[in-house]
Amino acid sequence: MTRLFEVTHRDGAARLGKLSWRGEELLTPHSFESKEELQFLKELTIHKAEIDVTVIAAQEGTSAEQVDADVVVLAGAARFRDDPRGLTKALLEARALANPDSALYVPALATPTNVSLLVYAGVDLVDTVMAEVKAREGYFLDADGERRFDEVSRRPCFCNACNGATMSELSFEHRVTLASDHNKKALKAELNKIAENVERGTLRELVEGRCRAAPGLTALLRLLDNEYSYFERRSPIVRKATLLACSQESLNRPDVRRFSERVIERLRRRDGILLLLPCSARKPYSRSRSHRIILARLDKLRQYLNEAIITSPIGVVPRSLEIMYPASNYDIPVTGTWTCDEREWVTERLTHYLSTNAFESVVAHVSGPYRQICDAAAASLGIEVVHTVNDENILSSASLQRLSAVAHELIDACSPARRDLRFDYIRDLADFQFGPHASEAIFPEIPKIRGLFPTYYASDRGRRIATITGTYQTLALTIEGAGRYLRAREGSYCVQIDDFQPKGTVFAIGVLSADPGIRPFDEVIVVNDRVIAVGRALMSGWEMQASKRGGAVVVRHMGSR
Amino acid sequence: MKKQYRARKRVPRTSGRETNGRRTRGNARFAWTGWDLLNGDVVPSLTVVLTTKGCSWARREGCTMCGYIIDSNPDAQASDIQKQFHEVIAHYGKAFKIVKIFTSGSFLDQSEVPIDVRDAILSELKGTPKVIVESRPEFVTPEICDDIFRINEHVEVAIGLETSNDCIRNNYINKGFSFRDFVRASEAAHANGFTVKAYLLLKPPFLTEREALEDALRSVRDAAPHADTISLNVCNVQKGTLVEALWKKGLYRPPWLWSAVEVLKGTHETATVICDPVGGGTRRGPHNCWRCDREVVAEIKEFSLSQNSASFTATCIDQMLWEYVLEFEEFSYGVPLVP
Repeated sequence: MTRLFEVTHRDGAARLGKLSWRGEELLTPHSFESKEELQFLKELTIHKAEIDVTVIAAQEGTSAEQVDADVVVLAGAARFRDDPRGLTKALLEARALANPDSALYVPALATPTNVSLLVYAGVDLVDTVMAEVKAREGYFLDADGERRFDEVSRRPCFCNACNGATMSELSFEHRVTLASDHNKKALKAELNKIAENVERGTLRELVEGRCRAAPGLTALLRLLDNEYSYFERRSPIVRKATLLACSQESLNRPDVRRFSERVIERLRRRDGILLLLPCSARKPYSRSRSHRIILARLDKLRQYLNEAIITSPIGVVPRSLEIMYPASNYDIPVTGTWTCDEREWVTERLTHYLSTNAFESVVAHVSGPYRQICDAAAASLGIEVVHTVNDENILSSASLQRLSAVAHELIDACSPARRDLRFDYIRDLADFQFGPHASEAIFPEIPKIRGLFPTYYASDRGRRIATITGTYQTLALTIEGAGRYLRAREGSYCVQIDDFQPKGTVFAIGVLSADPGIRPFDEVIVVNDRVIAVGRALMSGWEMQASKRGGAVVVRHMGSR
Repeated sequence: MKKQYRARKRVPRTSGRETNGRRTRGNARFAWTGWDLLNGDVVPSLTVVLTTKGCSWARREGCTMCGYIIDSNPDAQASDIQKQFHEVIAHYGKAFKIVKIFTSGSFLDQSEVPIDVRDAILSELKGTPKVIVESRPEFVTPEICDDIFRINEHVEVAIGLETSNDCIRNNYINKGFSFRDFVRASEAAHANGFTVKAYLLLKPPFLTEREALEDALRSVRDAAPHADTISLNVCNVQKGTLVEALWKKGLYRPPWLWSAVEVLKGTHETATVICDPVGGGTRRGPHNCWRCDREVVAEIKEFSLSQNSASFTATCIDQMLWEYVLEFEEFSYGVPLVP
């Protein structure tokens, strides 16, 4: 029975938590330092006094039962110190065995360099043993790598361990003493930095930087990225921080991959005319100078077009989803040249997008690498793309002239239906968040849309149904909207609670069952026999069901059923 | 990296015994000469390893660290064994103060070495001041000792006690006998005026470095009253053993040479403790940090002959690491902290 550990923040598989430990509150991720603490923990594994500590072994193919303890120890993790494959397997296995509200302790493995990756993978507790061993092996550790003593020619750092020391003059024994103190401090500092990043939801960015320190760590991150479903199940659907895609690994981020998969799997099938546009530095795209000029030129023609933006690393972003994370806030290094990986990934996404929808014609108002990507995708599908930009700027008057002429021509030719573009935002968000065809359940008729971009709201005969929220630009349902969705899709995005009135925060202990598809920050519907409420999830659905501690849903509105 | 590569090439082949001399490959699996301690004097010795059909225990159960069964020959006949022995004697002569007859099993086990072969070999070595044979304790009975005594009075029975801790011996080594059995065997041998040598294993699997060190220290003290000589076998990773499987998974590391030094230093006043760290300084053998291994191995061998702890003078920067490992290895929950 888990009682003493509670997760307070989540960022993918990484968590911050509180562990009641010998009368005080330990904030995790935490590193055990003293022998006395390690001894205390070890004894708990044998006679489980106040804290339930259970040891599990990292073995290939164990299919043991779920472990429900305050602290789960991954025994023997240190043997994977040079084996990223083994470590990936062991960590995922351990997390699968341990209850979500058990703290996972990985003994004798953490160093300042690898601890961010360990926490990223879901580790809550570490110790300073390996940092001490490394000091005695003759290594100075920092978050960005390790150096042998003889490679340290200048004062290594300005922590008080290194205060006043001139490395070259010291004996090996002195250096060990100094390094062991420094390494421990470096580990502590790194843990603090990690905690801050988890709070901001930016641990992934930190990890992508840290993994450069050693090939083994980069390998570890890539191997972890192969475990898409493990991280996807834990990744929030939105965040406030900007996604910084500064490395090759950014293409494999779980949130990026999920976005582009949902675009294809969840959005309604489009037909008519597709206009492809390049991305812009300013987000949302329609606020950028380039898009404003292009869109102003098209003006009312837009109501007959489907727009999509081509971008790395996200792939294809339909106009209506430009306000959704990560399309709404990401940044990439812009050099004008694209790497092969980027081209390949975006081409593949575009091909997929074109083949799952049924466009009659595709217009591309793009230049440079974007144009090559469009051509590559078109060639692989055997379709034709109408280019409206020749060797010129996409904003040149000639190209804009051409664009509007082509648009006119095509619209006259295939006469697509006119749409309310504001409803597009709401409708596609509904499908994106609640699954394919959700918008048909929530909006059987076209509702009245009001509000300023992007916080539109939809109402039907004077009753508000859904609103795009200002903070995360997610679609929040009203009780009316939730009722409509619930009638069509009993159970999905639903949290079944015990018989009480949900107010403020619903805690995991009160959750009877929840849709396992729910992700942190998803808009969810909270129900029991008497009431129906809407709110924002704080943890994944499967986690609500398995956890006993922590907030599950922040309720926004409540009504009776 | 370079050092490790070299170390890999020097993997000990088969023998777990004293190999401080030249080795030749005769018909016998191995035979070599060397120097050993006899009543305080350093004397020339001959070691003969006979290929038999293998240790009866290894054929049934086997110990977790012993891979000698690989060297056995299931079809070995009585005449083969005798022939091997004769070839070695023909090659080296009999002018050794000590002759060791090893079979990678039990010399006194009749199913391994038939009685007539046993008696023939022992009677041939009548003139040698000390003939050392190895055996599991169940074959060191008063009856067998009596029989042997009539043929050769200068026998030393070497028994693989490994540790005085029955729990470790039977659970981690799978030795299949108790300390009582050893004591009984030792009494039987002593009753006939034979001397007894006890092999102790430094670092059976599943022990931390500290547990292994403490177990060895304790075992020397426990075994000393029942043995004339104690031979400290520093565990190495032999082919086809459980220890090897654990080692490959990163779950076992051969002991540090410093630990062997610590045992020898701590017990040489209690008993005559000899040690030949087979494979010392290799990945499969006991090792330190590769910088000091050669020196420490040499010192251990020197000590085995001199029994003088002043032999140990080496120091190295990795001693701090070894001390840390002793103190903290248990907190890795089952794996060595340092490869």
